[in-house]
Amino acid sequence: MNSEFESMFQLTDQPIDPRILCDAVRDPAAGGFASFEGWVRNHHQGRDVTALEYEAFPALAEKEGERILSEIITKHDIIAARCVHRTGHLQIGEIAICIAVSAAHRDAAFDACRAIIDTIKSTVPIWKKEHYTDGSASWVKCHSCSEKATDHHH
Amino acid sequence: MKGLLLIGGKSSRMGSDKSELILRDGLTQKQRGTALLKSVCDEVFISTCEDTGEPNTIADAFGPIGPLGAIASAQKADPDSAWLILACDLPLLEKEQLEILIGNRSSSHDATYFSSASDGLPEPLCTIWEPTSAKAVQSAVAKSKQCPRSVLIQLNGHALPSPGLWPLANTNTEADLIEIRARLDQSTTVKNITVSYFAQLRELTGTNSETLQTDTVTPAGLFEEIRAKYQLPLKRKGMMVAVNGDFTDWSHPLSEDEEVVFIPPVAGG
Repeated sequence: MNSEFESMFQLTDQPIDPRILCDAVRDPAAGGFASFEGWVRNHHQGRDVTALEYEAFPALAEKEGERILSEIITKHDIIAARCVHRTGHLQIGEIAICIAVSAAHRDAAFDACRAIIDTIKSTVPIWKKEHYTDGSASWVKCHSCSEKATDHHH
Repeated sequence: MKGLLLIGGKSSRMGSDKSELILRDGLTQKQRGTALLKSVCDEVFISTCEDTGEPNTIADAFGPIGPLGAIASAQKADPDSAWLILACDLPLLEKEQLEILIGNRSSSHDATYFSSASDGLPEPLCTIWEPTSAKAVQSAVAKSKQCPRSVLIQLNGHALPSPGLWPLANTNTEADLIEIRARLDQSTTVKNITVSYFAQLRELTGTNSETLQTDTVTPAGLFEEIRAKYQLPLKRKGMMVAVNGDFTDWSHPLSEDEEVVFIPPVAGG
């Protein structure tokens, strides 16, 4: 993860340090900060999950991530936003995604943070493979995302 | 044998009635489909939603539930006849394929059909349904399980080899129509296209990237070719596509040396 954090959206194959994102959105004009962390949980739809793998189409994931953050910054009254998404093999409890938003007031920070995670989940080309206790593994199908994809126009 | 032409209900994906589309020979798809069936069947009927009272029509007897309801309605109208059921929106289908179907008909099976080029499963809407298939058809209609393909899979069917990707290509989407029109106009050219695969597509194809020679004109057509090549268990619906590193439409006109990535439903976050 780039500690300079010049682009708003990044992919990383290294563990995510949320403090770096927090520092990247720090601003004297900010009165509110909201963040979201997505963690690897040990279960999905009743199955025991032992580990996860994330794979991205890097060039487009970064472009789309950047586009989403720019759009949300324009739409909500926020000062700065950053997001980093992990790729590769992740253990239970690790951070898969971290979003940090600063704003003059809390409402905008909360709303923007929520909008960022929801949009990223539905359009950024990143896929998740779950490994289960029985040794099997499968790529996760996200039905709400596939419905959105049908209406997706750029 | 009797023929039944399915002209579809409301064609929501195309935004207009696809049976009235004129794609070749100055005939609507309905007229061309009827003529194709007449060339090989004793009697030809058109499936309609409502009872119009017109001759040679069979109204849906089980409500507007789609193709399986139309098949059940035909079998109800004449339970003793075999029915060649044909969808009207197969512009590249020729009489030759119907002759192959009929020439290889096996009346000791419940149905005779072509295997799909994409996944090897039955192509239900260019199929001979024998009288012995009626029980399974009715039972599926009664259970509101209305996918003709899944009924065919359960039956003792006679599967013929696929006639290839194009004869049974339909006009469901704008991109399908562009691909089919290019074939009718003979305006296709061979291009080199690089396709990169990620995640499950990388695993299913066993490769990160490949350069393909293709005469398809849209990513939609290219995906169908790749689906057939690897027998991929994925459909275009719900997927996105990127060309040269950005999202685009399935009807994007492909040109030489473009880079394509097919994007199954994403699951980040």
